[in-house]
Amino acid sequence: MSTTLARTTSPRRFKPWPYLLIAPSLIALGIILGFPVYKLISLSFERYGLAEIIAGKGTFIGLENYRETLKDPEFWRILRRTLLFTFGMVSVSIVVGGWLAHLMVKMHPGIRKALNGVLILVWAMPQLVSISVWRWLFSFDFSIVTALINSLGFEMDNHNYFVNTFSGFMIIGGCVAWGALPFITISIYAALTQVPKDLIEAAEIDGANSRQVFRNIILPMLLPVYIILISLSTIWDFQVFSHIWIFLDSRPSAEYYTMAIYAFQKSFGLSEYGMGAAISLIMIFALIGVTGYYLRQMMRMGDE
Amino acid sequence: MKRPNSSIFSNISGMFAIVLMGFPVYWMVSTSFKPKGDILSTNPTLFPHSFSLSNYTEAITKEGFTQALWNSVIVVVFTVAISLFVALFASIAVARMKFRGKRIYVASILLVQMLPLSALLIPLYLLLSRLNLTDKLAGVVLTYIAFILPFVVWTLRGFLINIPVELEEAALVDGCTKPQAYRLVLFPLMAPGLVATAIFAFIQAWNEFLLAYILLSSQDKATMPIWLAGFTNRFGTDWGPLMAASTITAIPVVIFFSLIQDKIATGVTAGAVKG
Repeated sequence: MSTTLARTTSPRRFKPWPYLLIAPSLIALGIILGFPVYKLISLSFERYGLAEIIAGKGTFIGLENYRETLKDPEFWRILRRTLLFTFGMVSVSIVVGGWLAHLMVKMHPGIRKALNGVLILVWAMPQLVSISVWRWLFSFDFSIVTALINSLGFEMDNHNYFVNTFSGFMIIGGCVAWGALPFITISIYAALTQVPKDLIEAAEIDGANSRQVFRNIILPMLLPVYIILISLSTIWDFQVFSHIWIFLDSRPSAEYYTMAIYAFQKSFGLSEYGMGAAISLIMIFALIGVTGYYLRQMMRMGDE
Repeated sequence: MKRPNSSIFSNISGMFAIVLMGFPVYWMVSTSFKPKGDILSTNPTLFPHSFSLSNYTEAITKEGFTQALWNSVIVVVFTVAISLFVALFASIAVARMKFRGKRIYVASILLVQMLPLSALLIPLYLLLSRLNLTDKLAGVVLTYIAFILPFVVWTLRGFLINIPVELEEAALVDGCTKPQAYRLVLFPLMAPGLVATAIFAFIQAWNEFLLAYILLSSQDKATMPIWLAGFTNRFGTDWGPLMAASTITAIPVVIFFSLIQDKIATGVTAGAVKG
């Protein structure tokens, strides 16, 4: 197997082409992302407030920002809240999306097409449009959802769903999951249709029932797709910012802080840029830890 | 062998999902055509009983609409053109060539996509203000390119590896040079993938809110999402015109998106299921 097959296009000598081809993208990423990452790291070791902005230079204070952040009970509350919120959104969207995708296979073609159309429509909604619409659905004074609940015989005129953080987070999470469902459902459905038919037929000839086919053939083949989708959803949902920010009129109260909002408020609200940078870095490390598997999986694909 | 009732169950679930998923969109569009009195009713009805375009006229005559539309178009065109051009080269290197450091390059492309945007706001703002690019569309374009590039490279690579190498090799055997083989054989074959990726980049840039919100401060620089956010002020929200404006903002995306949806779904997970 190790003998090189026709696939190798490269003979012996050193070739500059690949490096020339990737150079422009490396330069762009280096300036716009590389430098800010470096700056973020160096800021996290500095005291950088209003005085330092005016002076144009931070004061090096070592690990002080990290120590202070990790000592703060509020930080741990926010981290737990963010993880819980992320876990909720990811599991709901993956379970519902996966379930819908598996059902889609068995639907009447007309219904499947209609569902596909609706999913595409929802997928296409710009983030700010979907936030605006969901705010309208659950608005304080003229909410259709409140009206529907009232019509079932409950009395909840002018209900403010965001006074209670639980219902508030449910609605924000619902909006995020609603926006994420189409991508998840359609990706899983697309993967399902790629499972080779002859494999299933062979198993059926060998006497496997539909449950065995599902568990022993379809699920193992879909596992990589699920892993990619779970990891991507985790990355996206962990850093949800605009939803919370706009649902709560650009001034979320402390009970609505997640890691992203917390870091933002520390920097732009309280002008403690060093602290904000430290929190942001902790957030990045948390994400890398959670999604390390995804990265390895994708790197293996990149090698092929 | 199909179990008959499983199909009925999935059909009912399907219809249920259609109604639930579609409702917010339906409500946006139907609100946008309702007269003011019907919208500001404490007892809203599911179906409109009168039809009005007043929300649309109010939305597009609201200050800044044409300016925001124009700004968005400029930002999107430059972002898409530049990032596609740059990414095309990189994706050829990644998909078709072997070189030292490829693993590191691919890893950094993927790692960069995991960077939480909100974590980079502070240093990005500091960088762009040093380059004198805050509150300028060029600054926004520059950051969009950087954030979209990794995805574009990765997606184009996905389309490229699905084109058999043998086709280019045949062209080489027939006497083409390598650039000729790329130009005459590879590019025509990847045209659909390029278009799909361009549209996807278009949508990303058209929809982006957070960076524009931080980087642009004057009103005549606002992009469409910023303009949308402007419907809410401290006196409340103008729901009717906001729903009309939301519909207007969503329409180009819906049109473009319906053209490419099948490609994107398979592009993201390309190669994950091996047939």
